Amino acid sequence: MNKGGLLAVFIFAVTILLVVAGTRWPVPSAAAYAGGGQVSRTASSPEAAVSNLCDRIRAHAWDDAYNSLANKARFSALDFQHDLNGTYPGLLTYTNLDSFEMQPLHASASDAEIRLRLKWATVVGPSVTTRQLRVVRNGDRWQVEWPITSQPTLAPEVIPVNYLRWDVIDRGAGDDWGMQNVDAPHVRIVDMHPVQRAEGTVILGELLNDDIYPAYVAVTATLLRKDQTPIATEGSFDKISHVLLPKQVTPFLILFPDVTLADVGSVRMTPFSSLIAASADPVIEIQSQHMSPAPDASLSGQLVNQSGQVANVAHVLAAFYDSTGQVVWIADQYVDRALLPQTPTPFDIHIPEDLARKIASERTVVASYSFGGTES
Amino acid sequence: MQNSESNTWMQRSIPISLVLMTALAVHLPLLLLMLPLKSYDTNLHIFFASHYAHHWFDPWNTKWYAGFTQTTYPPLPQQWVALISPLLGLDLGYMAIQLIAILLLAVGVYRFSLLWVSPRAASFAALASVFLGSESFLVYSAGQLPTTFAAPIYLNALPFLFEWVRFRSWSSFFKAIALFTAAAAAHHFTLLFGSFFFAIPVLALAFRDRADGQSVTMRACAMRTILIVAVVSVAIAVVLLPFWIALFRYPVTQTPIPHPSRANYILNPEWGLNYFVIPYGAMILALPYIIVRGSTFARLRPLLFGFWIAFLIGLGGTTPVGHWLLGRAFDVLTMERFSYWATLLALPIVGMMASELVGRFRATAAFALSILAAGTCAAAVGWVTWHPNDAQDFKVNEVAAWLNRDGHDSYRYVTLGFGNKLSRLSTLTDAGSVDGEWNSGRRLPELTHYGVGALTSSKYFGEAGLDSLRAMLRHADYYGLKWVIVRDHYYDPLLWFAGWRPVDSLDDKTITIWSKDGVPPATAVNSSQIPPRWQGLMWGTLPFGSSVIAIFLLLIPARKRHRVRHEYPFPVNEEDLAPGRLAS
Amino acid sequence: MRRGFPLLMTGLALAMMADLAIAQEQGINLPKSIEAGSVFSVRCSGSGEGTVYIVGPGQVLRRDVQLGSTTSFPAGSLTHAGRYLAILSASGSSSDAGSNPVSSFDVVPASEPAKISFLARPSRLPVDIHDAITGAVYLFDTYQNLILTPMPVSFDLTNPSGAGQKRSVTTRDGAAWTAMDSSAHDGTDHFVASAGDVSSARAVVQVAGDACNLRMSVTPSDGKLVVATDPVRDCSGNAVPDGTIVTFTEAANGSKTTVDVPLKRGIAKVEMPEVQGAIFTVASGVSLGNQVRWEK
Repeated sequence: MNKGGLLAVFIFAVTILLVVAGTRWPVPSAAAYAGGGQVSRTASSPEAAVSNLCDRIRAHAWDDAYNSLANKARFSALDFQHDLNGTYPGLLTYTNLDSFEMQPLHASASDAEIRLRLKWATVVGPSVTTRQLRVVRNGDRWQVEWPITSQPTLAPEVIPVNYLRWDVIDRGAGDDWGMQNVDAPHVRIVDMHPVQRAEGTVILGELLNDDIYPAYVAVTATLLRKDQTPIATEGSFDKISHVLLPKQVTPFLILFPDVTLADVGSVRMTPFSSLIAASADPVIEIQSQHMSPAPDASLSGQLVNQSGQVANVAHVLAAFYDSTGQVVWIADQYVDRALLPQTPTPFDIHIPEDLARKIASERTVVASYSFGGTES
Repeated sequence: MQNSESNTWMQRSIPISLVLMTALAVHLPLLLLMLPLKSYDTNLHIFFASHYAHHWFDPWNTKWYAGFTQTTYPPLPQQWVALISPLLGLDLGYMAIQLIAILLLAVGVYRFSLLWVSPRAASFAALASVFLGSESFLVYSAGQLPTTFAAPIYLNALPFLFEWVRFRSWSSFFKAIALFTAAAAAHHFTLLFGSFFFAIPVLALAFRDRADGQSVTMRACAMRTILIVAVVSVAIAVVLLPFWIALFRYPVTQTPIPHPSRANYILNPEWGLNYFVIPYGAMILALPYIIVRGSTFARLRPLLFGFWIAFLIGLGGTTPVGHWLLGRAFDVLTMERFSYWATLLALPIVGMMASELVGRFRATAAFALSILAAGTCAAAVGWVTWHPNDAQDFKVNEVAAWLNRDGHDSYRYVTLGFGNKLSRLSTLTDAGSVDGEWNSGRRLPELTHYGVGALTSSKYFGEAGLDSLRAMLRHADYYGLKWVIVRDHYYDPLLWFAGWRPVDSLDDKTITIWSKDGVPPATAVNSSQIPPRWQGLMWGTLPFGSSVIAIFLLLIPARKRHRVRHEYPFPVNEEDLAPGRLAS
Repeated sequence: MRRGFPLLMTGLALAMMADLAIAQEQGINLPKSIEAGSVFSVRCSGSGEGTVYIVGPGQVLRRDVQLGSTTSFPAGSLTHAGRYLAILSASGSSSDAGSNPVSSFDVVPASEPAKISFLARPSRLPVDIHDAITGAVYLFDTYQNLILTPMPVSFDLTNPSGAGQKRSVTTRDGAAWTAMDSSAHDGTDHFVASAGDVSSARAVVQVAGDACNLRMSVTPSDGKLVVATDPVRDCSGNAVPDGTIVTFTEAANGSKTTVDVPLKRGIAKVEMPEVQGAIFTVASGVSLGNQVRWEK
């Protein structure tokens, strides 16, 4: 073979080798697109079987994921999908699986148990669900037995609805000057307390709608140095219930990342309110609230939708008080399942361990959202 | 007799005028149909051009990222679009400039190929460039006007580089400098990487050929190379000075944004189809020929090496080569342009193959090659329809009209679920956005710290994308961000719980406008980044001026120079062996 | 508008030069003041033809006149109150514009108000607060000129039962204002300001204050407990508006159940779990109610 021929063979060979290497050990950016790192493995181990299942869930390949299960005969593919994403639209319905973690609990030659943490990237923040999986050996491969949980469904029923609703007609642009408008609702901050946390300075407080109409509310805070120059301005964003019915109180939390409380001379609070069209429904009861002590301190309970309509996304905000009644922390959780009428749905809000011991009481509020409508 | 005439015709070069007519016949109707408007980036370039049309000497654009400087992107093709927009409008102006780039490519490929292969093979290469899958992919699917505008200028500059280094032609020296500078003013990456993939093989050829005919010493070649590199570097440094200042002042330190062109095309066959099969098309069948002929014919080896490296990088994450060679740049650049350059580098050898096939199999080969070429081009053009960049085609005029009325444009806005319609909307509205599609131009920390692209597509970037969106919404008051225009109800819960409320709906209620009470009107937030006036003057004068100078210099006729006869690998007909003139 | 601007500029130029004007044979006679929108006439002395320019705040008139005669301007010609200049430019006179006769006069608002701008604040407030309701008026004539001459303005605040408060205030510099008390009972009061033949009305909603003596009762129903308040009233006996949130809390065995319930038809009512020994509390805003311990 002449020199040119050798060169051609060399180029072919090196190209093929490089492609093989790139496929067997993808570079990070390629691995990210390939679903986490490697070519889809054969399910030669319990971890590989779970990992393959998660890759399929991440890729929304529901049928493939379902077909890989050992116990698929006990439920349908739709049941499996609803178990993961909910029967009714909720936070997880249109969400992608961001990552997952496996913790082997037990393993033998024929079966294994693995605790699986699925981290979903929901629009309001990460949401974690945990499942304990049994993985069984089937010939030369392992298969996951999915612990299906049946999802509640609503029986056909007619529920008469008779709830309060407020609409707002603002003055138009063409109205005369001096024409009377309806005043913004009167709101007031009934508690405010800055604390230093590892992530920065945090302003905790509570806001009351002191009016007779529903109010859209927001709170911004400006931290001032001792010489009264501003350090930073931040808002409550989603750490507040933005719609308050008359005499309703919401906790709020404003985070100033990387600001030290010692540098703060004073805080300027600016509550904002405006009239808003709103309804008094749905009424959501917070049942069986229970504080678990540290470690793993948390506030758990169940939400019961007292209304006839589905609340697709619920946001639970809890204010924690010390024995003197001062707010010491505010925490929240988005419930990733839709709240069906009269169907208890659990929630569990984590409490920082260093604060858990100080907490003597708590108060919880719930805000909810329904797709295609405006809720409170 | 008739058969004999036909055979003679088959053995001739294809006149370049016929190639240009073919390019017009193929691409003019497609461009008049405004097909590129469906592509990824066309509207971005029209948006930039729109700014130049209104503010030629002020590169500070307040419509994206609460203000950003357009000196972060070489301006030449966009300025040309802006220049002719009063006559044709922005859309048609874009198509006109794109058409000129396509025509220039045919000429450029012909002239570049003449360095390597016979005039007949070069003419086939030029004709192949009209049907090149990667060109159609970039024009109709990617919408990369700067890349497709800069590459032909660069290809046209390379023969002058060869003539200067090989024959010390001063006319070629100046023409090369003007064209290289204009190419850089069109697309800086083309020049940067073109130096490695295109210029080094041409220089290697010049050095290799120095002993043939009018011989020249190695030292002379080296001195000429150094001189032209130095002068071109200085010219580019001056012409794009505001660009370099922006780059050094605000280096691109953003978290890399994932791009499917960096995927492994075997593990992700859908992206393999998009970034390999469609751009290469029937050229995939010619890959063995390209490697074998490029290896066996010593003169073509520099070209083969340029092609091979570009080919491997163009495979994205399919091989680790791009990651090794480009380092961090691998996670910043998109890889389809490397495939484009690889196909351009392969064209001379493909032209040679076509010449051989037609010489040997006559009409049969011509017919088969025509089918393959047409199929490649058609697939790349049709790809934008079969695999649309934006699955939901909708008009944004109504949204723009809403933003432009009743003082809504006193506030900033952000769109969600608009895909690459954001550029279109931004062109039509007077309102400013905190979002945008030119990632290297953004400076807002809410956008640069998360490794995501435009906020409008944030859900596709997973947790990082949503974190970025939440960070931006959190600072809505600071940015005067009052409007969130939503075409994807996925985002509704976030907006609701963060304090936004729906206030209007448009386009048959498929678009909802959300508003937040209490947001103050938008004010300038990053005015320290506004380029000084002298930079605006430079930006409006020098890059465009470089192209005007290049045009004038090209009008000066060159001295005819007979090329040294080279031995081509398969002298299948007399034409292949005849000494030709180096086109100029 | 297009014609108006050059005309205005010409008029202003002539007016500036008119400062240097000296006594002329030609003259222009006008009343010292006229009422906005009224008919008026200008007499120009001299002979021949000329043009009269009348330049004022936001308005310019141009009229060709016969010198030596009187020219009438119809109603509505000059509507903006302020000081005006009248300049006569005779045709055939020298190019020295400084020689044009000039006269100044005032256009004053009409003496009778045609419109009241009435600002009443707040639109909504709790009952029984002293000087909490304020009203301010501005009087305008037909042409939106603020009437600066003092005029009496009457403020009347009437509650649904017919009782009310009355104030009479004289405007100063075109404005008058007053403050009144909110009444002891809830309802929508009518707040009327009148001057001359015109008046303007606003509604002021007076609402119940915080809940007072909040009381609830607990009754069993189908394995659950129905918790309901008595009709909720404030300390003046006004019914607290529907929609007001009442918070019920049930504490038992270390856990707690809470629910925020809006008032409907004056009461708040909800079903809660039945737990032996549970303690129920009720609150609304910052008002606490009674406490009930559930024992079967």
